[in-house]
Amino acid sequence: MTSAEVDDPDEELHSWLPKSPTGIRGFDEITGGGLPAGRPSLVCGPPGAGKSLFALQFLVNGATRYAEPGVFLTFEEKRDDVVVNVGSLEFDLDGLEGDGRLMVDALMLEPQVVDTGEFDLAALMVRLAWAVEKVGAKRVAIDNVEALFAAFNRPALVRAELMRLFRWLKDKGLTTVITGERGAGTLTRHGVEEYLSDCVVVLDDRVVQDVATRRLRVLKYRGSTHGRNEYPFLIGAEGLEVLPITSLGLNQEVSADRVSTGVAGLDEMLGGKGVFRGSGVLVSGSSGTGKTTIAACFADAACRRGESVLFFSFEESESEIHRNMASIGLDLNGWVDSGLLQFHCERPTTRGLEDHLAMMQRLIQERAPRLVVIDPVSSLARGATAFDVSAMLMRQVYYLKAAGITAVMTVLTGEGGLQESITNISSLVDTSLEVVILSGFGERNRGLYVLKSRGMAHSNQIREFLLSDNGVDVVPVVIGADGVLTGSARIAAESAERANAEGVILESEELAQALRRRRETVDAHVATLRADFEAEEGLTQRLIQASEQRQEAVRQDRLAQGLRRTVKGSDQGS
Amino acid sequence: MSTAFPPEAQERAPTAERLQLTLFVSGASPTSSRALHRLRDMCDRSFASGYDLKVVDIYEQPDEVVSRGVLAVPTLIKELPLPVRVLIGDFTDEPRVLATLGLPTPKADSATTEG
Repeated sequence: MTSAEVDDPDEELHSWLPKSPTGIRGFDEITGGGLPAGRPSLVCGPPGAGKSLFALQFLVNGATRYAEPGVFLTFEEKRDDVVVNVGSLEFDLDGLEGDGRLMVDALMLEPQVVDTGEFDLAALMVRLAWAVEKVGAKRVAIDNVEALFAAFNRPALVRAELMRLFRWLKDKGLTTVITGERGAGTLTRHGVEEYLSDCVVVLDDRVVQDVATRRLRVLKYRGSTHGRNEYPFLIGAEGLEVLPITSLGLNQEVSADRVSTGVAGLDEMLGGKGVFRGSGVLVSGSSGTGKTTIAACFADAACRRGESVLFFSFEESESEIHRNMASIGLDLNGWVDSGLLQFHCERPTTRGLEDHLAMMQRLIQERAPRLVVIDPVSSLARGATAFDVSAMLMRQVYYLKAAGITAVMTVLTGEGGLQESITNISSLVDTSLEVVILSGFGERNRGLYVLKSRGMAHSNQIREFLLSDNGVDVVPVVIGADGVLTGSARIAAESAERANAEGVILESEELAQALRRRRETVDAHVATLRADFEAEEGLTQRLIQASEQRQEAVRQDRLAQGLRRTVKGSDQGS
Repeated sequence: MSTAFPPEAQERAPTAERLQLTLFVSGASPTSSRALHRLRDMCDRSFASGYDLKVVDIYEQPDEVVSRGVLAVPTLIKELPLPVRVLIGDFTDEPRVLATLGLPTPKADSATTEG
């Protein structure tokens, strides 16, 4: 059993209630194993919703996979029409009938039957019993019971007969699918659902903005819990396929292998190694931001590794992509020639969402690529609701993940209502890159940042994303006084910074030189002063000497004079 | 048509083909036996020239049921003369039965004969 019944209050009931797998991918998951075994179930919906296909698929899968032969009783088509109508699918009704594993009993109800009185539908059971016995049927499908009401115009009688028939089917232990057409305000036109209370499945085919989307809902499942949501489903080569988002198992093998994004600077932002192999990568951005280019780089890098790539383009033709990529030096043509790269270009409006999904899955199965590019997923989503888109993408991402295929999806942001869906999508993918426009200084430049990247160290910076003749590069931006600088502002800032740095070096050298010179000057001054001082000192010394000599001379003179006076004066008495 | 007609039928109704009928009944159910009784009565009265009535029990010959696409019981198929007509029910609505089978409608007679 799957994770659909997480909060299963009837675990006991659930476990013993026998179920018949329908083999319809997704349906068995949401019902925890299929339809109630040995009981009739009602599948209802508007015309063209896929009721007959559901019924047939249940029988064909029963016969081919579960060894349960079946009887298909139809009031709607001729036998040959039944075979032809499923001819586009991989159902081999003729083969199964030949093996005695299936019986198609097509009963065209005569419109010109004359009603003359009381009757019953005993022959209906007789013919069913006959067919059941013939192939040893375990499964029966009756498509569609409303036709009986139309043919006999006696609702009370038909209702009573159907009750009898359902009882009989139950008694026989036949797992049965009864189809009924939706009525106004009721599940079926004639209220058949009242008698088929075990399991009721509602199919719907809604057209939202010209795009048809099919949905399935298990309205009722007595004795068992089930996924209660409305699940989108699609009709592919194998028939119906329900997309049970909530019950998708999260148990795929993961790879620790890293692959290059094809842009060196981007690899660097992603821890230097790129993204995980088999992961989902989302590149979002507004128009003209280079999302396709990034996707093409991924493709180119994969081809360089010798890995095959499937490129779904919903906006540009192959030759346009070649031309545009050649302008930045990416030669994708060579990879196409070598067979590594395959394009699938289609207008998004050619099919509905589910057809696109089916087509993509078919091609992916055929080609078994290692990398898938979907450019852009948002154009597929035009007209679909956010739920559809995220459901589709989730399915796609999980499908690719399970297959170990790396998925690169681009999303055009800024398309009004899509915003919400993109928020949903980004939670599904492992790596989300966003290209933003950084405008200022009269320019618009591309900035790239990693919104998230699970399981790896990644840069938190916005870097400038450059497209040139030489290819793509991602360079660090400059943070200036006015914020992030890109483009010529960045270049200007970079060169200013460079000039500035040079100036500083120059200045310090000059200062040092000036200092040196000043020191020299000061030294010279000191030398001069010292020389002056020395000269003065010498002179002064000489003067002092001269002065001292003069004083001595004067003293000697006085002495000599004194001597002479003393000799004369002693005679005269003084 | 290459059906061989008995000489007296040709005398009485030279332009009409002999009436060939197949009636599907479910065993001996009251509705079925009532229908069979009424049909015989009607034909005996209105088509005295003779008719062929084949009675098929759905439980005895289910393959006939399948091949003829029968659902309701009783079902009467008027095989000949062409066009083939299919009637269902227990023939309570006698004038309608007669008209569909191309039998003359009794003028003053009441529709019901017996139960």
